[in-house]
Amino acid sequence: MIEALLQTLLNGAATGGVYALVALGYTLVFSVLGVINFALGALFSLGGYLTYLLMGGAISANGALPGWGLPLPLALPFPLALVLAALLTGLASLVVERVAFSPLRRRNAEPLLYLITSLGAGLALVNLLQMLMGAEGYAFPAGALAGLPAAVVVGGARIRSVQVLLLAVCAAAVLALTLWLEHSRSGRALRAVAEDATTARLLGINSDAMLRLAFLVSGGLAGLGGGLIGVSISLPGPYVGIGYGLKGLAVLVLGGLGSVPGAIAGGLLMGLAEALVPGEASGWRDALAFAILFAVLLLRPNGLLGRRLVEKV
Amino acid sequence: MIDNGLLVQMLIGALLGVSVYLPLAAGQLSLATPAFYAVGGTLAALLSTSWPALGAGPDGSLPLASFLLVLLLGGLLAGSLALLVGRLVLRLQGIYLAIATIALVEIVRVAILNLPFTGGAIGIFGIPQPFPTAAGYLLPALGLLALAGWVCQRLEVMPLGRAMAAVRNDELAAGCMGIDTTRVKLTAFVLSAVLAGSTGALAAHFLNTWNARQGSFDTAVTMLAFVILGGARSWLGPVVGGLLLTALPELLRPVGDGRLVLFALVILLGPVLFPQGLMTPALLERLGRLGERADQGEPQP
Repeated sequence: MIEALLQTLLNGAATGGVYALVALGYTLVFSVLGVINFALGALFSLGGYLTYLLMGGAISANGALPGWGLPLPLALPFPLALVLAALLTGLASLVVERVAFSPLRRRNAEPLLYLITSLGAGLALVNLLQMLMGAEGYAFPAGALAGLPAAVVVGGARIRSVQVLLLAVCAAAVLALTLWLEHSRSGRALRAVAEDATTARLLGINSDAMLRLAFLVSGGLAGLGGGLIGVSISLPGPYVGIGYGLKGLAVLVLGGLGSVPGAIAGGLLMGLAEALVPGEASGWRDALAFAILFAVLLLRPNGLLGRRLVEKV
Repeated sequence: MIDNGLLVQMLIGALLGVSVYLPLAAGQLSLATPAFYAVGGTLAALLSTSWPALGAGPDGSLPLASFLLVLLLGGLLAGSLALLVGRLVLRLQGIYLAIATIALVEIVRVAILNLPFTGGAIGIFGIPQPFPTAAGYLLPALGLLALAGWVCQRLEVMPLGRAMAAVRNDELAAGCMGIDTTRVKLTAFVLSAVLAGSTGALAAHFLNTWNARQGSFDTAVTMLAFVILGGARSWLGPVVGGLLLTALPELLRPVGDGRLVLFALVILLGPVLFPQGLMTPALLERLGRLGERADQGEPQP
């Protein structure tokens, strides 16, 4: 009984870790720019597909280049593929910034327009993936995690080692991000821009460069999430990231917009809550995150750990 | 290339655009329209297929009066739901409201997918038809759009519409002027839901089948794009945006696989190229002046 519960909780924490990655991706851009990058879900998909391709996976019969895959000598082992895919997704995120954000920013457009352009960019990316890779699902090549045992035993509970890996990578990424934001020169500069862009610029911080950095890291986190979900479950299709993007949005608001600890706590909370939904009601699981979000918004309109916004007149 | 079926779809797009526009006219970014659209459509699909009193024939026909009743009921159910939900969510501001309404859309979608009587992933099919061909739906769709347009046009001179504009420009100042901002926002929200619910009921009959996919996050964004690309300053904007953007994927069909990418690029570039939308305030003013001249019977230049 206890073993089963422990198993469920660890699974929940692993999924929650991925939600937290996505939510942190939103948080980084939101804290600097004050808008939500709705293309993040599509970048999540891109990360999954890039990881698959970099590992030497072949394109399906419905793709643009049926049967093509990286020639074997170039295929990378999973850890390298994951990191490289996250990096490439970060670069794609810079492209999104360039086409969907910077034209509007230059003319101080109203925030509503960013919502449309970023979603347009996301839709374009997802449909491009569908065109190139086909609409069907992809399972990662067998032996992706050849070095690892199938399951490990923790406190009497058998846990799929891929879940442990997921949790470990998410924890490492979150830790690295926190250390970077708190202690490095560029991380502090980023926080300064988030606090007050004008003052930061007066102090000699290049706020445009910081914004691009935020997009790079944010896209990288989403890409990392996509690769991890791909290896632990599979890629059910190019829309995979949209669902995670929406859950990440729920987590973001649950934790409070712009709050890093809030995003992490919210992600874990959401993952655990979903894991505790009994099997018979699994169809309703996808609604749980949004039901929680709804309840939290009504009780605490600024999220669990969000700062109270004081409106100045 | 544009047949009657596509014309009906375009009118449905225009109706949904107006539904997103209404809360926006009171300054509220609500993406709840697909939820109310789905609720109205589901109710209509359930009633028409399984309520014998509506008189659906064995050949799959439906009396016109029953069809109109179902449109009304779809709107009423969506409106009542909006009245309940609106009191709660309209306390939220800006992006929080947008995300809460996205949450509502997802909850409704999962509910329709999982409720025991809504047909699961397949949905409800074989919905009785009040008209033998797609052309028959043109008249009710146009009628609904004319009604919605008339209401929006009336709003511009009515105290309620003025109050909505005031809340949009500055909610705090509007409150200080003695406007009951909560009531104004709620009214706009409910009007939007009634329109979306009736549109859903119409669409369910027109499509002949209805499932949970009809109201999802993607559709929410596409509908918002109708408003933004058409222009958010007048109800004519979402009508133009809804007509054009619904037709576009069909018109792009010859392009083949890339058409959805192109469609997404239009959504992406629209706000960059036309930040005020296609129906800009300057264009609307010129249209308004033309209208005045026509009223006075003067020859147009």
